[in-house]
Amino acid sequence: MAIRVLARITPPKPKAGDVFKLQVVAQHPMEPGTRKDEQGNLIPAHYIDQVDVYFEGQKVSAILPEPGVSANPLFGLEFQAGQAGTFNIKLKDNKGDTGEASVKLELA
Amino acid sequence: MDRRLFLKASVGVVAGALLVPKWIPAWAQGGLEGEDVAKLEPALQKVLGKGFKDLVPSDSVKLTMPTIAESGANVPFEIAVNLPKEQVKAIHLFVDKNPSPHVVKVETGQAMPAYASRTRMAETSAVRAVVETQDGKLLMASSSTRVTVGGCG
Repeated sequence: MAIRVLARITPPKPKAGDVFKLQVVAQHPMEPGTRKDEQGNLIPAHYIDQVDVYFEGQKVSAILPEPGVSANPLFGLEFQAGQAGTFNIKLKDNKGDTGEASVKLELA
Repeated sequence: MDRRLFLKASVGVVAGALLVPKWIPAWAQGGLEGEDVAKLEPALQKVLGKGFKDLVPSDSVKLTMPTIAESGANVPFEIAVNLPKEQVKAIHLFVDKNPSPHVVKVETGQAMPAYASRTRMAETSAVRAVVETQDGKLLMASSSTRVTVGGCG
């Protein structure tokens, strides 16, 4: 099942040279592997372990979360605006599910 | 026990209480609530190949955490690094008392050296932001958050 991902840029139209935030929210249980169900069995770990951020096809940043990250995680990065373009965010979890989102960077 | 003896005895007790802080090891004096270096050490060795003593507390790293979190399932944090982005290789977050203390590694690359996200916390603990620089230094900022309900079990 694909992971649902949303990406957002704040402020939406930064000026060239300004620092803006790229926020990525994924819908994911992020099971840490330490919790138990009603029968007392361990729930196996199930978490996003890689987030790659591409800008115009170039990999610009990567986040490698461990089980300690909260459910439905938010990943917040900051970039300096240079040129307009498109961010592509690719996610992968430890069971092989993937998710993708893209957001356009427009300059004011 | 007459009053004189009682007074003498209580002076002894009070003096003893004042002496106690000297018995606490140096690292714990003025230490953070929920600090647990013994538990953090293996995680640091595994992730960075370095121990706690190799981390340099630095003013250029800023870790913003709430002082009290009602739920450990969702504790927001912000790391800001006051260095040029070319000098920063990666940002890590560690929570001392979590079952697995290493929470996240961010390879900042072209991004500014800053990161904001949310972490789980099993219990009241010290939290460390560790910044790997390009020249191999490890800079650290510490904070502590009191957790009312844990988020790992």
